[in-house]
Amino acid sequence: MTVGSFIIKNALRNKRRATLSVLSVAVSLFLLVTLLVALRELTLPPEDAGAALRVVVRNRVSLANPLPARQRPIIEKIPGVEAVSPFTWFGGNFKNEESMTFAQFAMDPKLLRTLFGEAKMPEKQYEDFLKDQRSAIIGKLSADKYKLKVGDKISLTSTIYPATLEFRIAGIYSGTIDDRNLLFHHKYFDEATGDLGQVGTWWVKVRSAEDMPRVITAINAAFANSSSEVRAETERAFQLSFISMLGNIKLLVGSISTVVVFTLILVTASTMSMAIRERFRELAVLKALGFRRRELFAFILAESFGLALLGALIGVGGAYALYTYGNISHMTGGIFITFEVTPKIIGFATLVAASLGIVASIAPSISVARTSVVDGLKTLD
Amino acid sequence: MLSQVMVEANIVTIRKLSKVYQQGDINVTALNQISLDIRAGEFLTLMGPSGSGKSTLLHIIAGIDRPTGGECHVQGVDVTRLNESELADWRNQNVGFVFQTFNLIPVLTAYENVELPLLLTRLNRQQRRHQVNTALELVGLGDRSHHLPRQLSGGQEQRVAIARALVTSPSLVVADEPTGNLDSQSAHDVLGILQTLSQTADKTVIMVTHDPKAAAFGSRTIHLEKGELTN
Ligand SMILES: Nc1ncnc2c1ncn2[C@@H]1O[C@H](COP(=O)(O)OP(=O)(O)O)[C@@H](O)[C@H]1O
Ligand SMILES: [Mg+2]
Repeated sequence: MTVGSFIIKNALRNKRRATLSVLSVAVSLFLLVTLLVALRELTLPPEDAGAALRVVVRNRVSLANPLPARQRPIIEKIPGVEAVSPFTWFGGNFKNEESMTFAQFAMDPKLLRTLFGEAKMPEKQYEDFLKDQRSAIIGKLSADKYKLKVGDKISLTSTIYPATLEFRIAGIYSGTIDDRNLLFHHKYFDEATGDLGQVGTWWVKVRSAEDMPRVITAINAAFANSSSEVRAETERAFQLSFISMLGNIKLLVGSISTVVVFTLILVTASTMSMAIRERFRELAVLKALGFRRRELFAFILAESFGLALLGALIGVGGAYALYTYGNISHMTGGIFITFEVTPKIIGFATLVAASLGIVASIAPSISVARTSVVDGLKTLD
Repeated sequence: MLSQVMVEANIVTIRKLSKVYQQGDINVTALNQISLDIRAGEFLTLMGPSGSGKSTLLHIIAGIDRPTGGECHVQGVDVTRLNESELADWRNQNVGFVFQTFNLIPVLTAYENVELPLLLTRLNRQQRRHQVNTALELVGLGDRSHHLPRQLSGGQEQRVAIARALVTSPSLVVADEPTGNLDSQSAHDVLGILQTLSQTADKTVIMVTHDPKAAAFGSRTIHLEKGELTN
């Protein structure tokens, strides 16, 4: 027998309790990792290759207010601007599905390659899209989810405009951070809505990164004191502001995580205290045999630490395996495209487990230290 | 010179030893100025009514309790002056414990229970195995080394406990009512072993007992009453 095998035998003496405490740590850490990853994914701005050179222009009042189409030539003339495309959210329902399906945007198809160079699709499909004003292209994720092929016809009823549009799928693209959206001709949108002369937002391609700040300032200035003042910002900033519109998710997830960790500490600490209390007499016997306090502390710490880390291995490892090798888009019904368990999150969860092991061993260690051999021997089994 | 020899021959020398518990305003005197010498190789039995201070005396001699006054020298060391950690080492090397309720670790086999105190020594695995097997054979349980405590009878459990007490080769073995939970046959076996230890293995054995028949196995009996010796 070694000290190590003695500790293991002690930890496993009540197999059901050991299993339950390992599982409670595992489940809680699984939950914690899931929350942290979800939080990170939700607040992660898109890092598309092209995003660094894109500026989004929206109505200064709110995203729901449209912009006049006549702004386009003015923006186009600003030095450093390479291309400007309208980008209007159609808000269509697909097949009467109530839940979130995919977003549809009306835009200028000619500028697709310039603005969204990362969206890859066969040239033939793109040409077909350009030619047919009633066609649309759709991201591969949505195409796969709804089993759509090139040539299929789909119909979308807007929840914003009194319009139902018929589309023929001309192409399927992939390679963007989120291959879900449906893109179609803004002209088709204008016709169907009675030529309102309005767009949702402008998406601007800037020539170089150095031009970005100047272009943003120039766009904002161009419409200052007009009837439609705008807010121009980088795509990253735009996405972030969009997320803050989702509500205070960060705070919510943060509070839930804190509660999870706190509950976990209480559960583990009380389990550990119980496990040690049951063995008070034995610990007194060990003291009589010559084991010192610090050796008993080490036993308790090792046991508590071991159980917590085993739980972490199962919980964090399980989360990692599930989210890395599982199909997250499928599991979440398309809400999450990526669900990356980063080394930082793994590190944090493991750190939580390690601290848990230490914290849980404090109370039992103190009571063992306080109890003399004689008093310990008097405790009943 | 003569007194020096006397001291050398005494393994335990106790002078004016007292233990007073304070419970609020009331003082409970467990031991009242006791003086006692125990010679090396003696099998001393301690008798007396319940609450007379027998366990307290035994615990102080064995270094798991501290007196409130007086001196207690064991092999020339004043155990009352050792600090916690020195005392732990001292117990490991010099004292073997046998308890009324055996106090084996339930998840460890007989072998592992006996090996436990050796984990604190520098002995390697092979040396430990030799010591453990020797101790188990001495108590007649060489063939039970892989049994768990619950697979043993009470008498066998107590013999394992004696093996655990002997495995570090201490010069002093203390036993607090070791036969209190045993049937008469098992008690007889256990007492026989303790007697052999003092007679042939040169151990000093101090045993607390209620039972005059058990005390008869010892070489000397002292009586305690209300914390005082009455011989
Ligand atoms: N922790 C304690 N607090 C107060 N009194 C105690 C304590 N432990 C023992 N005593 C008292 O000390 C006396 C001697 O106890 P003990 O040595 O256990 O007696 P014995 O072993 O002879 O039955 C008893 O009166 C007992 O009540
Ligand atoms: Mg007693």
